Amino acid sequence: MNINATFFAELLAFCIFVFITYRYIWPSMENLLEDRRKEISDGLEAASQSQRKLEEANKESATILDGAKSEASSLINQANSRADQIVDEAKEQAVEEAKKIKLSAEADIEQSANKAKDGLRDEVAALVIAGAQKILDKEINAKANKDIIDSLIKKI
Amino acid sequence: MAKENAQNLIETSDYIGHHLVNLTFGWCEKTSSWGFANHQQEFFKGLDSACKVSEMGFWSFHLDTIFMSILLGAVVFGFFGLVNRAAKKGVPSKLQNFAEFVHEFIASAVNSGYHGTSKIVGPLAFASCLWIISWNLMDLLPVEMASFFGHFGGGFNYFKILPTADLNAPLALAIVVMILVTYYSVKTHGAGGFLKELFIVPLGPLEFISYVSKHVALALRLYGNLFAGEMIFILIAIMFGQFAMSFSQTLWFLPGLILNLSWALFHILIVALQAYIFMMLTIAYLNLASTKH
Repeated sequence: MNINATFFAELLAFCIFVFITYRYIWPSMENLLEDRRKEISDGLEAASQSQRKLEEANKESATILDGAKSEASSLINQANSRADQIVDEAKEQAVEEAKKIKLSAEADIEQSANKAKDGLRDEVAALVIAGAQKILDKEINAKANKDIIDSLIKKI
Repeated sequence: MAKENAQNLIETSDYIGHHLVNLTFGWCEKTSSWGFANHQQEFFKGLDSACKVSEMGFWSFHLDTIFMSILLGAVVFGFFGLVNRAAKKGVPSKLQNFAEFVHEFIASAVNSGYHGTSKIVGPLAFASCLWIISWNLMDLLPVEMASFFGHFGGGFNYFKILPTADLNAPLALAIVVMILVTYYSVKTHGAGGFLKELFIVPLGPLEFISYVSKHVALALRLYGNLFAGEMIFILIAIMFGQFAMSFSQTLWFLPGLILNLSWALFHILIVALQAYIFMMLTIAYLNLASTKH
């Protein structure tokens, strides 16, 4: 162990190496690592932001979907009620039509019944006159006794 | 037998001594000239001086320490510089990943331990930690390897590859830390406040002694740990060395192998730990210096 001028050489060499580190190695590496750190944190930030955006979009699409669903169901309800209405209307119309048909049929029936009654009445009147002519035989004029016979017919 | 043991002892102490001497280039008083210490190398003819290492004064340089530390620094800081230059913001390559890991590790230590505003603490911690680790890793190379290559490759008979085991190197680091601590103490507390803290409040000059000794200890802790580790590697290497001396001592080979392996494994911990401790203490001292308390 002897201290000699080697010490100064080592001192100088150390100062030079520290200077090299100070000038060329340390700051560039610090900057590099700092940049990378920033880049990574930016990337993470962007990722979380897009995550948030995705969530928002999901939420939005869900609300849109819900709206569409409710709209569709209301449309279906409307359509259903409209169909019911149409059916009801058709039913009503049919019923009315049926009533009309029934009424006209009843009128027809009444008319033809009246006609038949009239026909029968006339025939009965003719028969009564013929019968009365046969009974009275001679003098009794059909015209003279028509009033009596008509009143008889009306009583029938 | 006794003679043989004595002979072995001399060779052993020579061996240890050999491994503890740096390749020295310095001012020789005897001849009033610069040169390598006597018989240390054959590479530079004519640059040999008449002085031994112990005869050289303060003005001498441990060329192996300087060479190895600058080489290792160039490798380490060159690596980080190049990786940083090629670094890109996107997905990092594997090398960049490693550099970022190291940077983050040191930066987190600095951020948690230092609350001042100085921009030099991070680079200082980074440079000291990595430089010391690269030094300390040299301890894991086999002790004979350096001398082997030095001897046959370049003609250097003495070459220590572990800069940490030369007190000059850790001391230089600790002194830089001490200068910075002093600077920031004066900046934070003012010159008067700092002197008052050192010499008067609360225990008189005791604080000054602790101030100096904590910085010296910073260097000595690192130096001592690695020097001791190196010493143990040398002692283990002697076991292998006995192999060539006499047959009866070839029995040392196996325990030597086991010891070397286990010590090397344990030493990996020390290598990293001492660098880490140096870095953390540097951060802590600078934090104390630059915050009001």
